[in-house]
Amino acid sequence: MIELQEVSKTFPGAGAPAVKRVSLQVKSGEICALVGPSGCGKTTILRMINRLVEPSSGSVFIEGRDIMKANPDHLRRGIGYVIQQIGLLPHRTVEENVALVPRLLKWPEGRIKERIEELLEKVGLDTEEVRKKYPYQLSGGQMQRIGVARALAVDPPVMLMDEPFGAVDPIVRLRLQDEFLKLQQSFKKTICFVTHDMDEAMKMGDKIAIMNGGFLVQHGTPREILAQPANSFVQDLVGEDRGVKLLDLVRVETLMLPRETGTANGRSVQALDSAKKALEVMLEHNVDGVTVCREKQVVGILTWETIKTYVHQAGSEAGG
Amino acid sequence: MDSQLFLDTLLQRSPPHILEHARLVLVPLGLAVLLAFPIGVFLTRPQYRRYAGRVMAVLNAGQTVPPLAVIAVFLPFLGLGFRPAVIALTIYALLPIARNTIAGISSVSEDVKEAARGMGMTPWEVFTQVELLLGLPVIMVGIKTSAVLTVGTAVLAALVGGRGMGAVIFAGINFFRPELILAGTLIIGLMAIILERLLTLAEWFILPRHLR
Repeated sequence: MIELQEVSKTFPGAGAPAVKRVSLQVKSGEICALVGPSGCGKTTILRMINRLVEPSSGSVFIEGRDIMKANPDHLRRGIGYVIQQIGLLPHRTVEENVALVPRLLKWPEGRIKERIEELLEKVGLDTEEVRKKYPYQLSGGQMQRIGVARALAVDPPVMLMDEPFGAVDPIVRLRLQDEFLKLQQSFKKTICFVTHDMDEAMKMGDKIAIMNGGFLVQHGTPREILAQPANSFVQDLVGEDRGVKLLDLVRVETLMLPRETGTANGRSVQALDSAKKALEVMLEHNVDGVTVCREKQVVGILTWETIKTYVHQAGSEAGG
Repeated sequence: MDSQLFLDTLLQRSPPHILEHARLVLVPLGLAVLLAFPIGVFLTRPQYRRYAGRVMAVLNAGQTVPPLAVIAVFLPFLGLGFRPAVIALTIYALLPIARNTIAGISSVSEDVKEAARGMGMTPWEVFTQVELLLGLPVIMVGIKTSAVLTVGTAVLAALVGGRGMGAVIFAGINFFRPELILAGTLIIGLMAIILERLLTLAEWFILPRHLR
């Protein structure tokens, strides 16, 4: 667990604080996406967790321990850190980059070698192909995977990721996000994830922390943020289409009316698809309802009425 | 032009002076590296960075004073011979090394240093394993510049009794024998090239593989 208590940071020579009395909890195994415009303090918060920036006031706890009482170098070795591609050491090969922290911790070479192979495989790279290469010989997507592998090297419980998928093209980014979420399902790391992209935050975050001007504006699940934006700033950030985005976050099986038999009109979606997908099928084929299947078994029906009611209710939970 | 005299100078008269000249180059160069490299490193550390401008101004000024003048300044204290020549040449070789050490280390990207810190490297590990290795090509350019510069400037040592190839060249000037001047210059040129090549070779061995 990562816990920030009333953390503030004023950089020397700066008039206004970059981070103002932020309190935030990231539960074990959860991804907290810190999102906001540039200069909002999200990266500063991240860097205060591994003490690359020292808080001016307030305290930060990792797994209940006050980080100010730890040796900063030892602290950082125990926290996975992923930044944009440039973070790889350009004069070291892929395997030397991945082995960086294990070597600092003086792991035996045999164990390091095994770990490198295991990690490169996990992040979807061909070990033999890339291990002797230098960062400049890799594609953006490969570099990013190496960055993740390096952060995971000593299996730290906590990871900090600063726009980790920022430097790759949109298609690769989507793939890396999916791959990372898959890894996270088995690793269950406690992660702080900085991004300026609200869609990425919605996708990656179990919780989203929205920052503006050094303040934590809102903190909640993606659904809470979409349904009840705290103020007009969050509303703008979320965008005009929050109804549709809400549907992206809910599975068809949650909204459907259970039904054992019947074929309805032949248009069907899978139970684990998003409600947005169901809506798209309805729009595309000009129908008011779709059949919900699990594999080939019909399990229910989802109608236009149900979707409409759901979005309306979620929206009015905000109280107006 | 007396080709016999030219060959005599090249093959008989110069060789003893070549060794003297090598000593006049290597001793100041070594001293300059020992002095200027740590100065350069200190001036890239965050807590001393603000002095960089002033220190470099002093070194720049040192470079503008003619070497002969430097020798003249030290003459009353150190007299004639090898030692004043070495001191003047050392002062002369400082600037390119210090400047390139600062430039080389500063050229290492903040992101790379930050990532290394973020991984848990101590400041010393970041310095030795990241900044120094990545800055090395630029630092070596400074050392090579100083080396070539010193090979040429060391000729002046002969004027204060420091000997070296200057002895041959100044003899040529004093006795109007262009053969001596030509042969001496040729040897100095060769020495500069050889020294530069040797340093490049040394660099190749220290450098990380991908920078070669």
